[in-house]
Amino acid sequence: MLLKEIKELLKCNWYSSEELLNKEIQYCFAADLMSDVLRYGRTGSLLMTGLTSNQILQVAEILDLSGIIFVRGKKPDENIIATAELRKIPLLSTNLLLFDSCGILYAQGLRGGKSNLMENDEPKSNVQSIVHD
Amino acid sequence: MNQRAMYSQSFTIKGGDFINAGTVSVRIKRLLKEIGLKPDIIYRAAICCYEAEMNVVMYANEATLDFTITVENITVKLSDKGPGIKNIELAMKEGYSTATEKMREMGFGAGMGLPNIKNNADVFEIESEIAKGTIISFKINLNGKH
Ligand SMILES: Nc1ncnc2c1ncn2[C@@H]1O[C@H](COP(=O)(O)OP(=O)(O)OP(=O)(O)O)[C@@H](O)[C@H]1O
Ligand SMILES: [Mg+2]
Repeated sequence: MLLKEIKELLKCNWYSSEELLNKEIQYCFAADLMSDVLRYGRTGSLLMTGLTSNQILQVAEILDLSGIIFVRGKKPDENIIATAELRKIPLLSTNLLLFDSCGILYAQGLRGGKSNLMENDEPKSNVQSIVHD
Repeated sequence: MNQRAMYSQSFTIKGGDFINAGTVSVRIKRLLKEIGLKPDIIYRAAICCYEAEMNVVMYANEATLDFTITVENITVKLSDKGPGIKNIELAMKEGYSTATEKMREMGFGAGMGLPNIKNNADVFEIESEIAKGTIISFKINLNGKH
């Protein structure tokens, strides 16, 4: 689905140039914790979040996220908007809550999908701890 | 520098600097992309760097990040000056966090950072001295299965 179609479905405001809204979105991910995005987010996903701290852009670049939709009416500040435009990360915001936003997109056929980075989640025994008191 | 090192660079990370937080990891990610490594290697290395970098920003005073690429692996060593970690086993547990309310508002404090590094790295070591600092090292193999 194109990001601009998602923009219509969630009645979003947008803060990026129109061309960035022509991106094709394959997967979505929703979280309000940075480490959750990094652990469970599929690379290239569209992120739905209530986080508007500038940190979200570093995480977006690390996972090559396709864009960010801020939920619950949260709005990014001007610095974030400018940096996101430079890095070609589209930013949108909706007044809908997280659950409702995800539900609407899910009903339209969009899916989440597991992180594509780790094949199995078996605990590994490669930790060595040394503590000096 | 290791004889077989193809590239190595050091970065400084400042504790408490939430404005620049994460930018070292983003620079490393761009560099790995330029070198043309496989995407999953780049993502795993960048995730490990970011989690380790954020821990310095949140809990330590400052750190040096030494980054080396050889034909075999990516090696990162982060040595910080800071309070150290009293109980490493506890700190490694998913969900354990001492993040402040302010950090949680920014989206941190899931207690997943160290476990994320452990899961994405092929080798992970953590060493800490109370009131001195913490050293985190990890390697990501360039060849072979994770
Ligand atoms: N460099 C460090 N110096 C001192 N304490 C640290 C350091 N790194 C981690 N810790 C301690 O270990 C705990 C667990 O770290 P971890 O990265 O797993 O989770 P977190 O930082 O609390 O949350 P998250 O990474 O999910 O945002 C931290 O809350 C902190 O108490
Ligand atoms: Mg952390």
